[in-house]
Amino acid sequence: MRASVPRRVGLYAVLIVAALVMIVPFYWTLSTSFKLPGDVFSGKLIPDPFTLENYQDVFRRLPFATYFLNSVIVSGSIVGLNVVFGTAAAYAFAKLRFPGRDLLFFVFLLTLMVPFQVNLIPLYRIMVELHKAIPAIGVDTYFGLIAPGAVQVFGIFLMRQFLRSIPDEILESARMDGASEWRILRSIVFPLAAPGMATLAIFTFIGAWNDFLWPLIVTNSDEMRTLPVGLALLARRNTVVWGQTMAGTVVAVAPMVVIFLVLQRRFIEGLTAGSVKGGG
Amino acid sequence: MEGTLARRIRAGLPGYLLVAPAVAVTVVFFVVPMVVSGYWSLTQYNGIKPPTFVGLDNYIALLTDPRFLRIVQNTVFFVVMGMAIGPLLGLGSAVLLNESVRLRALFRTAFFLPTMVSLVAVATVWKMLYQDQGLINDLLGVFGLPGHAWLNDPTTALPAVVVTSIWQGFGFETVVFLAALQAIPRETYDAAKVDGAGAWAQFRHVTLPGLRATILFIYIIGIIGSFQAFDQIFVMTQGRPGISTRTVVYELVDEFQRLDLGSASAIAYLLLIVLAVLSFLQLRFFGERD
Repeated sequence: MRASVPRRVGLYAVLIVAALVMIVPFYWTLSTSFKLPGDVFSGKLIPDPFTLENYQDVFRRLPFATYFLNSVIVSGSIVGLNVVFGTAAAYAFAKLRFPGRDLLFFVFLLTLMVPFQVNLIPLYRIMVELHKAIPAIGVDTYFGLIAPGAVQVFGIFLMRQFLRSIPDEILESARMDGASEWRILRSIVFPLAAPGMATLAIFTFIGAWNDFLWPLIVTNSDEMRTLPVGLALLARRNTVVWGQTMAGTVVAVAPMVVIFLVLQRRFIEGLTAGSVKGGG
Repeated sequence: MEGTLARRIRAGLPGYLLVAPAVAVTVVFFVVPMVVSGYWSLTQYNGIKPPTFVGLDNYIALLTDPRFLRIVQNTVFFVVMGMAIGPLLGLGSAVLLNESVRLRALFRTAFFLPTMVSLVAVATVWKMLYQDQGLINDLLGVFGLPGHAWLNDPTTALPAVVVTSIWQGFGFETVVFLAALQAIPRETYDAAKVDGAGAWAQFRHVTLPGLRATILFIYIIGIIGSFQAFDQIFVMTQGRPGISTRTVVYELVDEFQRLDLGSASAIAYLLLIVLAVLSFLQLRFFGERD
């Protein structure tokens, strides 16, 4: 059915205005990051004069290189740990039998209902005590940033749904051939689960890269801060240096935007798989 | 009987080994803190001296404190305004994109992009846009409208933060609704048309029923998420002016940093109770359908 011409004009007008509302703040961020301090509120669409000073400040005078590295290390570790341990647990829940399995899975599901803030304060205390006992772990360490997110129940749930679609016969025949469970996991389950693991990796990465509250609480030195924490502390000052802050924003946002534009189809498929199909 | 249980446990060993890391992390960093938090909520505790048991005093003090009730009211406003507008925008844009639109993928990307970006970054950008000489007042000026100190006026600060949150989040709803719309079979629409249904009747009798599960999903996820609003408040307003943008989680973190750990834990448990009730409703609604 083809809609009438006025209707189509209206449709595109609404879509274009809406798309501008979504895109302009991104453009304005980028544009401001190349402006001199005096030009930030000048309303100029294109930075004139164009300066790289803000980026130099962010990397030389402010520790954004450290924040960036920390974000990469923390998000990367959380993704790796979740993909391996989440898939392993999901395989056990989906395909193996052991007493207490269903009860355990139910308890895992219950934890999905508990907001993180409930655990925040004691979790911080645990990290303080760990740090006193072993200085390399606990508060203000990579361990402290990574460990609480190392195995996320949502990921187990997602992978369990995925692994249930692997036919039992494949696993049975491997067992008949004398393969150990470890070997089955490594040579059959992991390869077959690769698309699901990619979805899990993407989800976990988005969450870890953008996570704020826990990294804010568990770090107290610039050496350990991640990008969102460093950026937030810059942006909440009473007098914000906007050019610098926008350069910091670009640094924090750009990797996510690039990854999203490259892997867009996968993102959206993973997302809708969890909501539309998962609801049924 | 015991012999067989022992044998089943031994046979289940690979399973136990595979779930062990997940169980260990969940117990140490989730179950233990949760239980401890529940206990602390019943005590007066500053993190230094041992906690003293005070029963429900923290809860009573919170629920009878006009200041805290104002914070709850802010949070409810945040949730209600966000949920009144966000999903509607998501559904609206999904319906538009579900028409035979050129460049659909491009529009979808534009709507979805902000949801990929950290809320801290989005809040930082919008804080700049809301400044007195910022882009929003500039644009209003183009239309001859007066500017406004959006984040410094107690009547506009909270709505301004909600607008930012909606801008960041509704693309998620667009994408989820669009996928759900595309899952409704064409034949259902054709049958409705044969029966003489117009565009509105088709929307009411075919589209909306087809989206029922998705709408519930969106609302429950959205409500739970917006009850936990913190990042954007931390960056944009720090709860000010006055306490006009202070939310429950902002207050929790603030009390934590002031070492009022008993009361902060009680706030956490109040939040848990509210969200548990909402999650229960979600399970009920979804369970009913399956």
